[in-house]
Amino acid sequence: MNAGAATPTQDRGRQRRRALSSMLGWIASGLAFVLLAFALLDILHTVFVRGFAALNLQLFLTPTSGIAGGLLNAIEGSALITFGALLLAVPIGVLGGIYVSEFGREYFARAVRFIADVLVGVPSIVFGLFGYLTMVTALGWHFSLAAGCITLAMMIAPYILRTTELALRGVSGELREAGYALGASQANLVLRVLLRECAPRVLTGILLAMAISMGETAPLIYTVNWSNYYWNGHLTHESVAYLTYVIWSFINEPFSSAHALAYAAALLITLFVLLITLLARLSLSRLEVRRSS
Amino acid sequence: MRPGDALFRVIVTAFAALIPLILLALLAFLVHDSWPALRFNGIEFFTRNAWNLGNQYGNPVTVRGEQVMPGASFAILFLIVGTLASSLIALLLAVPLGVGAAVFLAEAVPPRIRTYASLLVELLASVPSVVFGLWGYVVLIPFLSRHVYPHMARWLGFIPFFGPPSGSGYGLLTAGIVLALMCVPLIAANLREAIENTPQELREAGLAVGATRFEVVRKIVLPRLRLPLIGVSTLALGRALGETMAVLMISGNALNILPQNIYSPISTMASFMVSQLDSALQDPTNMAIYGIAEIGLALLLLSLLVNALARLLVPRSLSA
Amino acid sequence: MTQRSQHARRRAPRLVLLAAAGLLAVGSATAATITLNETGSSLLYPLFNLWVPAYTRAHPEVQINTASTGSGTGIAQSIEGLVQFGASDAYLSDAQMKKNPEMLNIPVAISSQMINYNLPGLNNVHLKLNGTVVAGMYDGSVRYWDDAALKKLNPGVALPHDLIVTVHRTDGSGDTFMFSQFLSFTDKTWEQKVGYGTSVNWPAVPGAIGANGNPGMVSAVKSTPYSVAYIGVSFQGQTDKDGLGEAMLQNRAGNFVMINETTVPAAAAAMVPKTPRDERISMIYAPGAESYPIINYEYVMVKSRQPNAETASEIKKFLRWAVSTEGGNSLQFLKQVNFLPLPASARALTLQQINQIH
Repeated sequence: MNAGAATPTQDRGRQRRRALSSMLGWIASGLAFVLLAFALLDILHTVFVRGFAALNLQLFLTPTSGIAGGLLNAIEGSALITFGALLLAVPIGVLGGIYVSEFGREYFARAVRFIADVLVGVPSIVFGLFGYLTMVTALGWHFSLAAGCITLAMMIAPYILRTTELALRGVSGELREAGYALGASQANLVLRVLLRECAPRVLTGILLAMAISMGETAPLIYTVNWSNYYWNGHLTHESVAYLTYVIWSFINEPFSSAHALAYAAALLITLFVLLITLLARLSLSRLEVRRSS
Repeated sequence: MRPGDALFRVIVTAFAALIPLILLALLAFLVHDSWPALRFNGIEFFTRNAWNLGNQYGNPVTVRGEQVMPGASFAILFLIVGTLASSLIALLLAVPLGVGAAVFLAEAVPPRIRTYASLLVELLASVPSVVFGLWGYVVLIPFLSRHVYPHMARWLGFIPFFGPPSGSGYGLLTAGIVLALMCVPLIAANLREAIENTPQELREAGLAVGATRFEVVRKIVLPRLRLPLIGVSTLALGRALGETMAVLMISGNALNILPQNIYSPISTMASFMVSQLDSALQDPTNMAIYGIAEIGLALLLLSLLVNALARLLVPRSLSA
Repeated sequence: MTQRSQHARRRAPRLVLLAAAGLLAVGSATAATITLNETGSSLLYPLFNLWVPAYTRAHPEVQINTASTGSGTGIAQSIEGLVQFGASDAYLSDAQMKKNPEMLNIPVAISSQMINYNLPGLNNVHLKLNGTVVAGMYDGSVRYWDDAALKKLNPGVALPHDLIVTVHRTDGSGDTFMFSQFLSFTDKTWEQKVGYGTSVNWPAVPGAIGANGNPGMVSAVKSTPYSVAYIGVSFQGQTDKDGLGEAMLQNRAGNFVMINETTVPAAAAAMVPKTPRDERISMIYAPGAESYPIINYEYVMVKSRQPNAETASEIKKFLRWAVSTEGGNSLQFLKQVNFLPLPASARALTLQQINQIH
């Protein structure tokens, strides 16, 4: 840090004060960074050290049984819930994103964009309550995979819509103009050219949405509940397991077998979410670098 | 227009229309399910501390035209105070930390390693809420309640709300700290990008008149970013208001009581909805569940308001 | 277009397909059997966790899910039909029965409740407490551990001048029901101001914490010096291991008693003969010189009318096994959670109730 580079001033004392306050400013901002980095590293350290200590092969081969056993049912359930939510949300998000980006000047498109933005900020527990009141009880689906997937899909579809829109709008205007000049139809241009051009960025948005749904707990407690078994193929009337439930519920138990499962689940979910985020972030930043160079 | 394009347009519009439909569905069902509670509770819902399911082993009585259990009342002032206070503390911590980290990353870290260094802050955003709760529960609370809060209560006791008792570690300040960590990446990431995008001429002009590099940042770069900072802080506030799992695990889940000081246990609207839904479901008159739906409706409206405000302040940013 | 971006583009869909195929493989590897769900009381949960593996090993055609969510959830979800077994330490109220006449309150064992505390240095001392003093702690009129009322009950104990941190359950809980009933039966002010239920209107005491489930209560007391809590007896092994204090409680006859092999059966002997046909009865504050004041029936809430005969017969089969002395009521299971088996007269009533399931 070349803080307080010397400047020619008569008043040496004043200059020294300024240099000193600049130095303090750098130190304060550096400390802010160090503190936050330390918090992240301490969280990861806690989860990794205790999680790795709890890892064993049985976790990946057997389902939970009471508050002991393995985690395979929860791993399967988390994957199913996330996959189902994406299956529903990706078409809505991507096609909706195309609409908002390509017909962006229409009043309705502006409204959709604004609503999507606002929905991204609605607390997940509100979606959970909605899912409970409508699907679990009013429609009589009970705690089920379907109720959980739809609830999560409602949460992440607006997010995918906005990331898709931003991705499409990032495509250079020249490409659009060239396409139209060659007489391409709008549908062709968007689907064949523009979407392919920005596919990595659209995919990044989807990956991040996947990370969000993987890490969710609150909406699932009241739509999916919990199961000690594997999924039996039913979409409604049967609950499934998921990893975040193990963390929240088992850490409260006073038994060490339950704690071990909670740490192992925290390790798996954190590792997975971080890997997805890193993959998305780093591939995106590499992409940006290539674009700008 | 070609027929293919017309079809394309109809299809993408139809899918996009599902988004406003989600919002409408949320509003419609929450209003529908909280309607009896709105009529029963009236405005007192927000002004008193009285979440009381009534005598569950008594017989239902009719009050203000609604069937409720004897003695039942539903009022959530303590939840509103808990929600706003914890989010405000989070913001008070997150804004300086976020600005500091953003300045450090954008100005002091060489571009070559900046992407990786900023990950150390920004990855905090992707840690799941329940993992924050786990960490708060097993690491932060024992540490703060033993080594920090007792000393704060002793030495900072002259500041209102900082004095003893320093409590059990479960409470307002702990919730505020964890919430701050959860929403700081939003502030740091957006601000870092904005600082990086400040025109080079402005900095050079500042350096040319003899300002130090830090003075350039503080007096020229940051003042220009005041409005985006307010916008992104509002977004962060929106996030803090609705956080559920982490707060549930570390806030102490106070009931019907306002915090006495910053160490006191609290509850927030979101965490209360999780912890009380099951009790509410036992109310044979269903009024408690309507009350939970009313909390949900209030939280939805609050978050819509805050997020809409944030969007108007930063029209182009996207929360991540 | 660079080579690398083309490559990435082609790889992405393949990854998605692979993931989908993997999911389907896991999903289809499971066979169809009858699944029964249990949720509710965290006091009963440890027992269910002993029962279910033993029972399903002998009956592989049935799967039973267990969850520790609090009696409130157990009651609510069994009424809603979301689960087949709602575990609860509390029976349903008259109003709930009127609204849901098809619900059966089926006792499966007898349980009791401790009052525990974390007083550094004094946890090996069994403090003497009565309902009035405990009610005072929870309504804020007894604020410090060296309060005159506490000193009077415990002469010679060096009680510290520290604030009492009361811990109560945030989830709807049968333990809260038992505890608040004990306070209502022993303290007039509590009865008038708070009353009893699975969730009660806790008086606003500064610093009081809420915890989730019995496990949450144990963790909260363990990590919070000067705290006090009510904890179900199935967690006694854990509270002993964590070195928490356990109070002696004053019973109706005025004697101070702790949970042991005399006091709980003594209380049960006083109350079981009074059990009505639907078995909804409070056994709190039983008469008798040796009776422990906080004991109860552990209930499983079941709908008498099930959606199909197959489910009904599996439920009956499991419950009959659970209350039989060779099955779930054998000491092999109950000893581990410090429960008592059902006395013969209560078992007869319970079997009559089980027979109503169809």
